[in-house]
This record gives sequence, C-alpha cells and structure tokens, in this order.
Amino acid sequence: MSANNGVARSAVSRREFLQLAGLAGSAAVLAACGAPPTPAATEPPTEAAAPEAVTVSWWNQFSTPTCQEVFPRVIEEFEQTYPAVKVEYEISGGPPGGGDYIEVLLARIAAGNPPDTATLWSPPSQFGARGSLTAIDDMMANAKWAKPDAFYAGPLKSCQWQGKTFGLPASAGAGCIFINTAHFEEKGLSTKREDFPKTWDALKALSEKFVVWEDGELKHAGFIPWTQSWLKPVWSELNGGKLFDAEKVQYQIVSDQNTEWLEHWVKWLDEQYGGDIEQLNIYGTWGDVYPEAAFQLGQCSIEMSGSWACTDAAIPFEWEVMKFPSGPSGSKSVTGFWPNWWVMPKGVPHPNEAFLLCEWFATQGWVTWYKAVMDTPAWKNFPEGVLTQKLVDQAGLERAQEIHNFFAAYLEDTAGMWTSPIEDFASDTLNSSIDEVLHKVKLPVEALAEAQELCQAKLDEVLQGM
Amino acid sequence: MAGLSSHMKRSRAGGFLRLSMSKQARDDLKGYLFVSPWIISLLVFTAYPMIASFYFAMTDYTILNPPRWVGLGNFEVMFTKDPLYWKSVANTAFYALLEVPLSLAVGLVLAMLLNQRIKGIGFYRTAYYLPGLMPAVASTLLWMVLLDPRLGLVNAALRGVGLPRLGWLRSAAWSKPALILMSLWGGSGGVMLIFLAALKEVPESLLEAAMIDGANAWQRFWRVTLPMITPTIFFNLIMGIIGSFQVFASAFIAGAAGGGSEAGPLNSLLVYMLHLYRNAFRYFNMGYASAMALAMFVVLIILSMALIRSSKYWVYYEVAGRR
Repeated sequence: MSANNGVARSAVSRREFLQLAGLAGSAAVLAACGAPPTPAATEPPTEAAAPEAVTVSWWNQFSTPTCQEVFPRVIEEFEQTYPAVKVEYEISGGPPGGGDYIEVLLARIAAGNPPDTATLWSPPSQFGARGSLTAIDDMMANAKWAKPDAFYAGPLKSCQWQGKTFGLPASAGAGCIFINTAHFEEKGLSTKREDFPKTWDALKALSEKFVVWEDGELKHAGFIPWTQSWLKPVWSELNGGKLFDAEKVQYQIVSDQNTEWLEHWVKWLDEQYGGDIEQLNIYGTWGDVYPEAAFQLGQCSIEMSGSWACTDAAIPFEWEVMKFPSGPSGSKSVTGFWPNWWVMPKGVPHPNEAFLLCEWFATQGWVTWYKAVMDTPAWKNFPEGVLTQKLVDQAGLERAQEIHNFFAAYLEDTAGMWTSPIEDFASDTLNSSIDEVLHKVKLPVEALAEAQELCQAKLDEVLQGM
Repeated sequence: MAGLSSHMKRSRAGGFLRLSMSKQARDDLKGYLFVSPWIISLLVFTAYPMIASFYFAMTDYTILNPPRWVGLGNFEVMFTKDPLYWKSVANTAFYALLEVPLSLAVGLVLAMLLNQRIKGIGFYRTAYYLPGLMPAVASTLLWMVLLDPRLGLVNAALRGVGLPRLGWLRSAAWSKPALILMSLWGGSGGVMLIFLAALKEVPESLLEAAMIDGANAWQRFWRVTLPMITPTIFFNLIMGIIGSFQVFASAFIAGAAGGGSEAGPLNSLLVYMLHLYRNAFRYFNMGYASAMALAMFVVLIILSMALIRSSKYWVYYEVAGRR
C-alpha cells in the first residue's frame, strides 16, 4: 500500500500551492515597492533627430459639464495646429488617479516626475518663488502669440517673481458690480453706467434705498461690500491703499487708507444692517450672483462677482454691470481679476511642446472657451468680434459686445493682485482680520497691525529660505 | 525569527555551506513569508512615513526644496508665535470634549433600543447604521443644507417650537456644535454596532438573577449591564478620542460656507488637522505641519496611556485573574 493510502497524489499539494502563492505575493510587493521612479527624460541632442509625435500631459481641476464639453475641443484644435504634439489629459476635477490636486502635484514636482503642464487656481508666484516652476521668459520672447506685451499687465504680473515669468494667465475674469435693473427701475433710479455712484459714500446712500427691515428682520439688502474676499486688494486700492507692494516685496497692510476702508465697512454694517454680522448672515446668503444667493433670490439688489458670472451664473432677470466706486482717499476705479493660470513645473521632459500648449490655452485656445463662458481673456490681442454665445442669445449681439468691451477696457485698470510668494497665507490672515473687525472683536487698526506683523514675518521667513 | 536560528544546523556538503532547517523553523519561515506583504506594507506605508515625518518636523521643508535642518525651531513657532495654533488646539479640544461622550452616550442608547427581539429590528439596525457609510463630503454638504440659517429644516423646526433661529455654521458660537451634530449623525451608527455586540455578550443569567433579587431596569443596567460592557466603552472611548482629534473633512468643507475666514466665523472651525493641512499644502510649510503632527502624536500617546492606566479602576474584564 502506498504511503497515502491509495489516494492519488496531485502534482502540487495544497500546502505547496499556498507556499508558492505566499512567495509570489511577497515578490510582487517587493517588486512594486522597489520600482524606481520614472526618470526625467534628458535625451542627448541628436544631429538628425527625426520628427516624432511628442505627448505632453496636462493636469487640471476642471470638472463641470461645460469644461468637459469645451476643453476637448480646445485640445483638438491645438493638436490640429501642432500635429507632432499630442496631449494626454482628463477633465475629472483632479489629478489622474485621484487625490487632492495640489497635494499630488507638489509630490510629483518634488519627486521629479511632474506633468508637462498644469492649470493652477492659486498664483504661480508662490510656486515660482520656491523654484518649482520653469521660467518661460525666453520662450515667450520667441513665441508666436504669447509675447510679454501681449497680455494685460496686471494678470501677467501675477505670474512673475523677481523679474521672471513662471506661467501664463489664460483668463483674467474681471470683477465688477452687478445690479438688478428691475429693482432700480421700480425705484425710479437710473441704470446707466455713467449714473452709477463714483464714491463709496454715494454707493452707501444708494444701498440704503433698497434696505428693508420688517419686524426686526432684514428682508432686503442694498449692497454688502465685504462678501467677496478675493476682491480685498481692490477695496484697498479703491481707497488709495495697497496690501502688498510687489516691487519692494513688502506688505503695506498698516496704513491710514486701509484703516479708513475697514472703518467705512463697520459703519456700513452698523448703519444699514443692524451692526451684528452673524445676525446679518442668518437673514440671507449674501455674496455673489449665483443661484441660491440673495441676489438671484431677489433679496439683494447690488452684488459683486466676476465677468464669468454673466453667463455662468444663469441670472434669470435683467442685470447691468458697473464699475467699483472709489473710496474717500481714493481717486480712481480699479478692478480685480481671477485668472486660470497655466504653468510648466520644473524638470518637465518636453518644455518646448509644453510651452506651446500653455501658449495655446492663453491665446488662440481661449477663443473657443470664451465662446462658451464669458471668462475675460488676459490676452490683449484677442480677436475682435468673438463673443460668448450664451450672452448673445440672452442679450443680443450689440449688448454682448458692449459688455465684452466693458470688461476688456476695465482690465487696463487692475489692482495689484496675486503677486506675493505667500499669497494664500496672507489671504487667509487678512480674511481672519477682516472677520474679527466685522465681528467687532478687534478695531481695524489693531487687526491690520496684527495682519501686517504676521504676513511680513512669514514673508521674511520665506525669502530667507530661498 | 529567534526560533529560527535555534533550529538551524550548518552542514558542509560538497564544499558548500548548507543550511538545513528543522520542521519548526520551516513552519516559522512560512508564517513570516505569509505575513511579509503586510509587514512590508506596514514598514513602507506607515513606519517609513512616520519616521520621515519626525525628521521633517525638525526641518524647514517646503516639499519643493530639500529640507533644511532647524532643530526645534518649528516647535518654538508653534508654541510661541503662531496665534492660530492654540486656536486650533482649543477648537479641537472643545470638539473632542463634547463629541466623544455624546457619541458614546448616543451609541449606547441606540444599542440598548436595538437590542430587542421585535419584528423588523434588522431594518432599524440597518437604518441607524447607514449614515455612517455616507462619505464625509456628501454628509457635510447635506448638513450644510439642513443647517442653512434661513431655509434649512433644522431652523424651521426650531421656529416651529417657538425657538429663535441659530446661525449654525455662520455663527462662531454654534459652528462647532453643528459639526458635533454632523458627527453624531454619521458616527453613532458604528459605535452603536460595537455596543450592540457587547450587549449581546452580557449573560442573561446575570440579568435574570438581578431581576429575581428585585432589581429594577435602571439598577440592572447600572449594576450589571454597564460594568459588563466597560471593556467596549474603553475601546470606543480611545477610538473616539483619536478620531475626534483627527476631525478634518467636515470642518474643511463646512468652514468655507461660514463666511469670513475660510475656517468658519472667527476661525471657529479651524480644527487642528485643518490648520495642519493648510500649513502643509497651502503655505508650503511641510516641516511645520510635520511638527504639528508629531505634537499630536505625543499628546495622543499620553492620553491613551493615561486611559489605559486608569482602566484598571473602572474596566471590568470577565476573564479570571484580570481586573
């Protein structure tokens, strides 16, 4: 009788199979962990390099249906213009493979295998100042469309640090004031742009005409000036002040003009809205012109937003756009802007092709996007007569052209924005300070002094580390 | 691996050194090979990042440039120069001090209610557990709608019973309670499930004996049930504390809705992990963020050890000789 009592013995027993499976699994894990990172291609130049298609990667955070519809068209047009360059991308709201966009992008830059191009929603000056982006001045000098003088000064400065340019502003969504024209007409007020208040006091007086309180509750607001935090630099410059001086690389938060600006807001809060910011915020969702915000719900007659809101916010009633009035210590109206920035991280394998893609988005490619969304281009040589179709359908050709011209002209007078290497830190700090002032926890002069100290200290620390 | 060497014998055969292993050694080796993927994963994805983080805590590290040694500089800034650090500690402590006991209480009450043999009890258990399966982002967005001060259902209910509307996420005083409410809704299900399992382990005989001795429902709960489930309370308490210190997603999303600063009115939603995240990925201050992580790690270790030490006074283990 055989040792296994007559039962046929299989070639591999169960124990041996499990042993092999364990070994194979361990080997697979070791292999995966030990895989070296993809090295950045540094191919030696060849004398007679045969032209071959180059694939460049583009990362972005876009995800809306409009983005998913329009950006592929932009890419297609680019690839038709440059047949030797293919673009690898996805419109999924984040980096390929998922994860937080900035986290993964920073990790890839640090690891030395970044995407060829990336779209940023925070300014390139922060990244460029830390040496993580490719300077593109030489490429811009030889570019077909994206030469340095082809862009509005303000948006281009947001890509620059210490004389070098680290990205291109594809858009420069200009800020403005929106009014509900029906509300104005009901009160017999002019809706013409030239009749709109030119000073803060006049705007405050106009706002008061719309404020309605009933049974101790605010039912209708006029204008609430502090709702759009990205426009802080604009409000400072409207009053002759400044928050950050890019030339001197210095914060100038403490100033009489800035103190006057915040005191003006506190007075506005007290005189028109009951003096309690939290109570005011219970009465409505103030801020911007999108659905569910007070402006669209008819609860507020004057609001702020950017040019993109003209079509993107789908405002269901007639509206007009106005310039910001200047403050008591100011002399002229300025606007803000919020670009989409296209950048090339340091160490990209195909810098020339990557620049072509950035250039395309910031210039010719933006034409396709602008036809869908009224996101004011930062490119001064934008073709004449190109308008956002939705606005044309909504308001007619003449009016659409007029609004386009309004924003294009306003971009010649922009406040200095997005130029600090600690932009996000400073923005958060200032937001906290303004919040404390409106909550009456601190006086404007105290809050601004604290913000100045924190921002300047942080700036000095970062500059020291560079 | 020690057992392995004691069973190894060396032998020479044909001029080559040969290792022959005993059966015990071979079995040990197989065991280690089977757990090796997990050990490698632990070393690579947990231990290495932890050790790296301890190192980065002593450096000025922006991610984008090599780390620069600063010693205890980050800790000096943390404890003496960063006004938001102590704000984040206070916010997190407030949250943890309220959320953890409430979560335990709600979980236990739910478990007791669901520890009954009635028709459809399975449906109710599922219903109370389901919110815990909802992703944090989705549940936070849902609660932001419910807690809208003007149009939300919660304020509508308060008005219905004659109470004033609250600012919730738009109020410095009520934003953290709002966060706790969200957490209780989503987190109590998991706690409830663990308590339910513990309640089922309470011997019926003890409860019957207590009943025979004349104990009422409260006395049976307080004198029999509660002591029997103290190990589970202990477990949930430690896990709850660790979880509450790490609250992030709901604060991150809800904070932006509050107006004012991006961390809620007057930074009331600036919890520790949110401050850490902002420093790491918004301000390019990974070194400082690592220092914050190290500080939290130390605090949690101390708290956990204190709780473990205290457990001998209030946790009852049924196993003989263990008290």
